[in-house]
Amino acid sequence: MSRPGANPLALAGRVLVWLVVAAGGVAFAAVLLYAVLSALKPAGQVLAVPLRWFPDPFRWSNLLLPFTETAFARYYLNSTIVGISVTALNVFTCTLAGYSFAKYSYPGRNVAFVVVLATAMVPLEVIYVPLYALVFQLGWVNSFAGLIVPAGTSAFGIFLMRQAIMQVPDELLEAARLDGAGELRSLVQVVVPLVRGPIAALALFIFMTNWDSHLWPLLVGSDDAHTTLPVGLAAMQANNLGATGIPMMMAAAILALLPTLLLFLTLQKRFVQGVAMTAGIR
Amino acid sequence: MAVSRLRADGLVRSRRRVDVRRDVVGAALAIPAVALFLAFAIWPALRVFYFSLYEYSLTAPPEWVGLENFDFLLHSKEFHGVVLNSLFYVGGTYVPSVCLALLLALALRSRMPAAGAVRLLYFVPVAMSWVAVSVIWRLVLQPDGLLNQTLGLDLNWLTSSATARWGLVMMSVWKETGFFLILFLAGLTTIPDDLYEAARVDGCNAWQRFVHVTLPLLKPTTAICSIMAVIRGFQAFSAQYVMTGGGFGTEVVNLFVYKTAFENARMGRASAVAVLMFFLLLVLTLLQLRVFRRDDR
Repeated sequence: MSRPGANPLALAGRVLVWLVVAAGGVAFAAVLLYAVLSALKPAGQVLAVPLRWFPDPFRWSNLLLPFTETAFARYYLNSTIVGISVTALNVFTCTLAGYSFAKYSYPGRNVAFVVVLATAMVPLEVIYVPLYALVFQLGWVNSFAGLIVPAGTSAFGIFLMRQAIMQVPDELLEAARLDGAGELRSLVQVVVPLVRGPIAALALFIFMTNWDSHLWPLLVGSDDAHTTLPVGLAAMQANNLGATGIPMMMAAAILALLPTLLLFLTLQKRFVQGVAMTAGIR
Repeated sequence: MAVSRLRADGLVRSRRRVDVRRDVVGAALAIPAVALFLAFAIWPALRVFYFSLYEYSLTAPPEWVGLENFDFLLHSKEFHGVVLNSLFYVGGTYVPSVCLALLLALALRSRMPAAGAVRLLYFVPVAMSWVAVSVIWRLVLQPDGLLNQTLGLDLNWLTSSATARWGLVMMSVWKETGFFLILFLAGLTTIPDDLYEAARVDGCNAWQRFVHVTLPLLKPTTAICSIMAVIRGFQAFSAQYVMTGGGFGTEVVNLFVYKTAFENARMGRASAVAVLMFFLLLVLTLLQLRVFRRDDR
């Protein structure tokens, strides 16, 4: 009967909602802009009254302060090493297990899969005391092994890869076998190229989650050689509460955000799918 | 959902001729993942129950104390306060986040101008790390920071019991709304346009369409958002650790576990808290699976 928006009252209601949403958006953006601009201000201007938005002059050299004044480069390197290793390990273990659960039948398969799914119900927060005790006994405290190995697989990843690989027609695998391909070769040459999308989503998601990881690295990587960005940032923050430290802290926070932010901006769609999917199984 | 599909799949399989050698290889492929799970998820999860019955400091051998840890916690004023802090944080953050996310999702669906840019603004914080966001928000909440100056207030947000928890709530709403927005937008795509068309033909106005079509069909999404909200809320750690160190009424459960286990070396007592948290999160996760299963049909 009435086209959307034809009714003036409905249109007014809609515009009102739009205004609220836009105002929220402005508030959201203001915080980001404030953080970025504060990173570029001379120290005296950060907490100036009245509030000044734009630095005068822009101190681009502030962006180097974390590197020259703290071990920021080391934290960055450590986070990169851990992030890439954990991601690679997850892609490896989850693809293999997903393939195994999707395309083979053997006694105990369903039990193993259900057990894996059940672990998705146990968040790190609940088990980190005994997990730390275990890693302590293994001698992995303050080591990359302690940061990487326990995070080496994920229920979400296995579930995702299993769902994706189930879509691969069995006929393709049979054909590869007839051509004499072994099980691993058909995985690498037939399955993996067909599930590149899900693998990318998995990699993106694991990397971003790991980049954010704070509690576990705080426990097992708190010495200088193994400090990751979240742990390092938190420690820097505690030592730089004065006004002069603020531009450096803002620069450090912005620089720490960059990798995941750029990944997000380039791969938005996959990230959004990943969030929607993890909500589905966690 | 997954389990029933597995069974059907298994039946079809068992009728086929079984190639034993091939399936041995297939089973072996799951070993790396399953071994990691056994060692670093399942074993510690079982141990947390064991630890909770002991007095344990990592350096000395565990000492059996039975249910004393639980008894202590249930009678500890401090622990009660911690639970209340967590409840405040969960409720304070997620009621506004989820409501705002729902409103946003509806607005973005209704051909709002610049919808892409608005969506991006709300999504960006989701992609940021909690610690970096906490560092940024410490500045926002400084006495001469963005918030006070914009609102013309003069509050020491993070160093007063009256305001610290609200500061954390504000920051978390900023960080989390986009997360729930993603879920709501995903949920909205599952509602067929025909239903709105039909409602329109029946003479329903926008409000009636919202109440009679959108809300009922979004129920599973709303349920998931609420459950996820509580789960995420109880997992909070970084924000409190960085912003207040747990002072001024912001010591949440997870921070309490951290301090008990690693600052006071009482691993048994910390495990007892974890056991309580385990049951809470287990119930929530089972609820979530139930909602999803119903959603699937």
